[in-house]
Amino acid sequence: MPDLKIEATVNGRKVSKNVAPFARLLDFVRDDLNLTGTKEGCGAGECGTCSVFVDGVLVKSCLVPAAKAKGAKIETVEGLARSGELSVLQKAFHKTGASQCGYCIPGMVMAATAAIRSNPLVSDDEIKERLGGNICRCTGYSKIFEAVELARDVMNGARPATALQEEEVDEGQFIGANVRRLDAPSKVSGALRYAGDTVMPGMLHVAVLRSPHPHARIVSIDTSAAEALPGVEAVVTSADVPGVDGFGVFVHDQPVMAKGKVRYVGEAVAAVAAEDELTAKRAAALIKVVFEALPAIFDPDEAMKAGAPIVHDYAPDNVTKHIPIRKGDVEKALAECDLVIENTYETQQVEHAYLEPEAGLAWVDHDGVVTVLSPSQNITNHRHMLSRIIAKPINKVRFIMSPVGGGFGGKEDMIYQGMLALLAMKTGKPVRLVFTREESIATTAKRHPARIHYRSGFMRDGRLKAIALRMVSDGGAYGLSTEGVMRKAAILGAGPYDIQNLQVDTIGVYTNNTPSGAFRSFGALQTQFATETQMDIAAEKLGLDPFEIRRINMMRNGAITHTKQKLGSVSIGRVLDQLEKAAQWEKGAPAQRGDSRGDLGTDGARRACALDARFVEAPTKTMKSEVA
Amino acid sequence: MARKRGRGMAASWYGIARTATVDRAGAWVEIDDGGTAKVITGVTEIGEGILTVLAQIAAQEVGIRPEDVTIGDNDTARSPEAAHAGATRQTYMIGNVVALAARDARAKLDAVLAKEWNVDVGTIKAAGGEIWAEGTNHRIEMSEAVHLSKSRGVVPLGSGSFGTDTTGLAADDGAGRPWQAYVFGGQVAEVEVDTVTGEVQVLGIWAAHDVGRAVNPRGVEGQIEGGIVQAVGQALMEDYKTEKGQTTTPGFAKYILPTSLDVPKITSVIVEDPDPIGPLGVKGIGEPAMVPTIPAIMNAIYDAIGVRIMSLPATPEKVLSALREKRNRDEERARIVAE
Ligand code: FES
Ligand code: FES
Repeated sequence: MPDLKIEATVNGRKVSKNVAPFARLLDFVRDDLNLTGTKEGCGAGECGTCSVFVDGVLVKSCLVPAAKAKGAKIETVEGLARSGELSVLQKAFHKTGASQCGYCIPGMVMAATAAIRSNPLVSDDEIKERLGGNICRCTGYSKIFEAVELARDVMNGARPATALQEEEVDEGQFIGANVRRLDAPSKVSGALRYAGDTVMPGMLHVAVLRSPHPHARIVSIDTSAAEALPGVEAVVTSADVPGVDGFGVFVHDQPVMAKGKVRYVGEAVAAVAAEDELTAKRAAALIKVVFEALPAIFDPDEAMKAGAPIVHDYAPDNVTKHIPIRKGDVEKALAECDLVIENTYETQQVEHAYLEPEAGLAWVDHDGVVTVLSPSQNITNHRHMLSRIIAKPINKVRFIMSPVGGGFGGKEDMIYQGMLALLAMKTGKPVRLVFTREESIATTAKRHPARIHYRSGFMRDGRLKAIALRMVSDGGAYGLSTEGVMRKAAILGAGPYDIQNLQVDTIGVYTNNTPSGAFRSFGALQTQFATETQMDIAAEKLGLDPFEIRRINMMRNGAITHTKQKLGSVSIGRVLDQLEKAAQWEKGAPAQRGDSRGDLGTDGARRACALDARFVEAPTKTMKSEVA
Repeated sequence: MARKRGRGMAASWYGIARTATVDRAGAWVEIDDGGTAKVITGVTEIGEGILTVLAQIAAQEVGIRPEDVTIGDNDTARSPEAAHAGATRQTYMIGNVVALAARDARAKLDAVLAKEWNVDVGTIKAAGGEIWAEGTNHRIEMSEAVHLSKSRGVVPLGSGSFGTDTTGLAADDGAGRPWQAYVFGGQVAEVEVDTVTGEVQVLGIWAAHDVGRAVNPRGVEGQIEGGIVQAVGQALMEDYKTEKGQTTTPGFAKYILPTSLDVPKITSVIVEDPDPIGPLGVKGIGEPAMVPTIPAIMNAIYDAIGVRIMSLPATPEKVLSALREKRNRDEERARIVAE
């Protein structure tokens, strides 16, 4: 198909380009015009990172064919600060600290600009609705709302322009001051380049062939048709690994690409470098892999039973790691308790959903140093692992950490950097890989799901005497951070309480599911969810206020932890006091007080969203002031 | 009434920096021409605001302004080891080590000035781009001080190393010293549950967290708010699913994330119990922020409608089926009592 000629006005400048007929407006802006402030977070109209104006109308450019740009006026985030000065809205984002990783921010700025342009007096609620199509994974949206409200007010004169300035700092006392984020201007303007925005001269594009099977032996891989495709420069498989093929955070059980067998759906089997993305993808589809399906295992409890399919030969019981913690005599203590509460809790697998999909570049420099640039959360560890994998001394391996568009633990694993290094070495050219959203979701680590069996024993006065906690967790096909997650889940699981009798077991298990790995709060979230629910149940049964039962049991200065460490200062008492006060908590046992509480509907709670009420019923009034 | 409100709370604790292993980090600081400073560490921003935090720390320790600080190089071939960007260790490990390196650089500069001005080195102070000797008329711009130092053959260059005094866990009973700094937190959640649709809305979260010492309070709030909303997602909607190992939630259309309409109002309370070991008293907030949120929400749901959700997430279907079970239980009980 012939290229499409597009003449348009972009950020006030006339441009004329030939683009591929299937190109999207997003590709035109990013690839042909090199305006990379517009991001591709999902490619499916669901995240808003690709928002631009076409003839003044806000659109998601991943859904719009490039042809629509013909003769149109396009405005991207780079167009907002064309004079070199940030717009009022961008300044407001800077002031309130509305950008964190920054990946969603250009899209947020565009959506917020649209909201204020269409209604200069846009209400706080309307702002939330207008930003409803833009996902932010980092900020919790609060500071973004604050920024838009501030910009609206400054533009209307309701607040002075000085409200956009940095707060004054006492004579050099910067620690403790609300210094504005130094990286914010580069994020609100779209100037910051993440790995996927980076291009190098002569750069090749990478596509990965992935396993369709959860567990299968690789009988053969035939790459000849892929290699023969014009434009393809190299194909790599595990056979190309010159050194020790294994990586992981605790155990190096994962090969750069599947070796001998695949262990989960989406596991990399081969990778192609070609002169453009489409050719790389086509070539990947031409690789012929003969698989022989193996019995697979998907449940961690089943996986530990004798006779279950074995995921890794080194772990015939499929146990990745078991962490035990012991203190006192739990069974004896439970037998003596006035109240024993026994429950089972379950938590799910969770996706990190950072807005920046994985991306990276690799090249071999003039001194033969194999260099990888990627949003890696652990370049130190990655350097060690890659040096073993490619059998080069550590000073011939270099990792550069590019700005991370959200990590949350999900970018600690070296799941693609090895392939890139091999392709750079094989082709002698820079190579770049950018994951699609689907690839990112299907193939990268998740938060560990957990099944927690819990027994806790209390005395009538609220004293917590014993905890027996057993957590079984599906670590999926590879070890990644499972060991560390089990450790943190175990150490912290019983909560900030002084307990004499403790029996904690956390067990991470291999299965043929998508691997679980590092995720913000690392196992402690799962076990403490169970602990804190048990505490609430006990408080109800014992007729105690939930703050009170925690105060009775909390660690105090000099406490001995569950792992028998002596602490110094312990702040939990202060934290609870200040929390109770801030929330204006009404004391009482958690016995379904619900609507009868006197502390509902204060300033600290938003109004309930009544969108559904239109269809179900008239909104009910439960605001305290209205009830009173 | 179909819509019921309730409140719940939860407490939490967390360890700072890498677990049950010795954590360590290095940094270099050079007080540079023009009265600026170069800070070289092995990390960059993952969104938490570390670059600003480091600039604030370096600025205060060197005696310049945050905008005069340049931070590089997040590159294993160009910077000292900083290890990883995770484990709530950035402010603690890198923040503290940058302070140590900045103090080292300042000590070199101060020694030159003390000799030059013939004063005790302890009298030399710097802030906001100026450096002076207390109790004297000696006061010059930092740029001038750097120039002077170099003309005496001294480049004001410092380095630092910060490591933790920690151990692994015993294999039998888990005894050990996994961290040297701990933080504590607590949150209250207020929810509204629609008993017709099963939908839960989180209307308010009050979050109190000990962070040691807040370098940038607004940044701490941002971490708390972001953590809470991620936890709201896990509490109510997010659910990565597989069927025979194949995901059935492959995109954001199926994998539901919290949007601007799901966000509670958040009130952060920053508690400061300084770490006695590091030079700055700082601890951390990234991960701890989201630990108490989910149980606080689940406890609030119980307060509102009397059902305990013990299997996450609390989707409308789960809430409705739990309500049905409760109704059956209640009726059964009523029947038995009546008989
Ligand atoms: S909406 Fe276009 S990339 Fe997500
Ligand atoms: S700042 Fe919004 S996704 Fe990171």
